[in-house]
Amino acid sequence: MKLYAYCLTQGLDALDHSPPGISDAKVSLLKHEELGVLVSGLEIDAVPVTPEHALTHAAVVRSVLDRTTPLPFRFGTVVGEQQLKNYLTARKAALQTQLKHVHGCVEMNVKIIQQVQNDEAAPRPEDRPQGPGTAFLAEKRREIIGDERKADQAAELSTLVHEAVDGLIKDEQVTLRPSERLVFAAAHLVERSTVQAYREKVSEAVKRRPELHFLVSGPWPPYSFANIELEFLTQFGVT
Amino acid sequence: MAFSPENPLSVEPEIETSHVDEFVEQLRCVTDSLPSRINIDAQSVEQGLAKLVLTLIEFIRRLLEKQAVRRMEGGDLSPEQIEELGLALMGLEAKLQELKSQFGLTDEDLNLDLGPIGRLI
Repeated sequence: MKLYAYCLTQGLDALDHSPPGISDAKVSLLKHEELGVLVSGLEIDAVPVTPEHALTHAAVVRSVLDRTTPLPFRFGTVVGEQQLKNYLTARKAALQTQLKHVHGCVEMNVKIIQQVQNDEAAPRPEDRPQGPGTAFLAEKRREIIGDERKADQAAELSTLVHEAVDGLIKDEQVTLRPSERLVFAAAHLVERSTVQAYREKVSEAVKRRPELHFLVSGPWPPYSFANIELEFLTQFGVT
Repeated sequence: MAFSPENPLSVEPEIETSHVDEFVEQLRCVTDSLPSRINIDAQSVEQGLAKLVLTLIEFIRRLLEKQAVRRMEGGDLSPEQIEELGLALMGLEAKLQELKSQFGLTDEDLNLDLGPIGRLI
C-alpha cells in the first residue's frame, strides 16, 4: 500500500487527534529517528486535484499547527514507506535546517488588487504616424511606457508592505504581477509571538492606502517556505 | 506571548478584506488555470513543445521591439529607417500570430510562470 504524505514534523511524539485524511483514511504519525511524517494509507496511485482533496490536505496539516510548525509536503505526494524513510535518512540534515528555519513561526499572506487605470502615455507630436511601420512603433512605445509605469507602481506597493512589516518577519516570498489586477502577493514567515503586531502594522498600511484593495490572511502552515523536494525521489527514483 | 507547547497561540486562520468578491474572482482565475490532470499524449507533447518554442520567440520579439523603440527615441534613425524597422516588426508579429493560431495557442499561453520572480513576459 502507498502512503499519502501531508507534512513533516519534529518533536511530535504522537497525534492527539487528526481529521480524516484523503479518501477518509486514518492519519497516523510515521516516526523515523527525530523526524515524523503525517501519512495515511492510499489505495490509488495518484490523488486527483479537487477542492475536497485540497481542503482535506490543508485540514490535516493545520491539525498539528497549534503544537508545532510542520513543513507541508506538496499536494499529491504519494510514496512507499521505505522510499519515504530512505528520503528522510538521505535528506535529514537539510530537512532539519528547514524545520529550524520555520520553527515557532506561521505564514501570513498579503494580497493587493489594483484598480484598472487608463494611464497609457499620450502620443507625442513626433509620434504622428507617417506610415504603418512608424505608427506600429509609436503604439509599441506607448505600451512599453505603460508597462514600465505599472512595474514602478507594483514595486512601490512592495516597498509599502515591506516597510510596514519590517522587523516583524523572518522571511518573505513576494510575487509582483504589474500587468494583472492581482498585482501583489506576499507570504511572510512570522514568529507566532509577533502575529498580532504584524496584523496591526498591516492594518495601518491598509488605512493609509484606501484606494488599494487588500486581503490579509493567516496564520497558515508555512507552505511558501517548505521547499521539500520529495518529488525528486519519485521522479528520478533516487532512494 | 511566546509560543510553546504549553502556551499555544490560536492558529485559527483569519481572512480580512473589504473586497471579498474581487478576491474570490481573482483567486478563481488562478484555480481555473490549474489542470485537473496532465494528459501525456503525442498531441499534447507536440503542443507543449510548440508553446515553449513560441514563448521564447515571443520573448525575443518583445526585446527587439524595445530595442527598436529605444533607437527610435535616441534619434539615431532616419524616418525611412523607422518605417522599415516598424514594418519588419509588424511582419514578425503577424507571423507569430499565425503560428499561434496553427497550434491553437492564445497570448496568455505564451508565458512562463517563474514563481516568485514573476512571469517571463
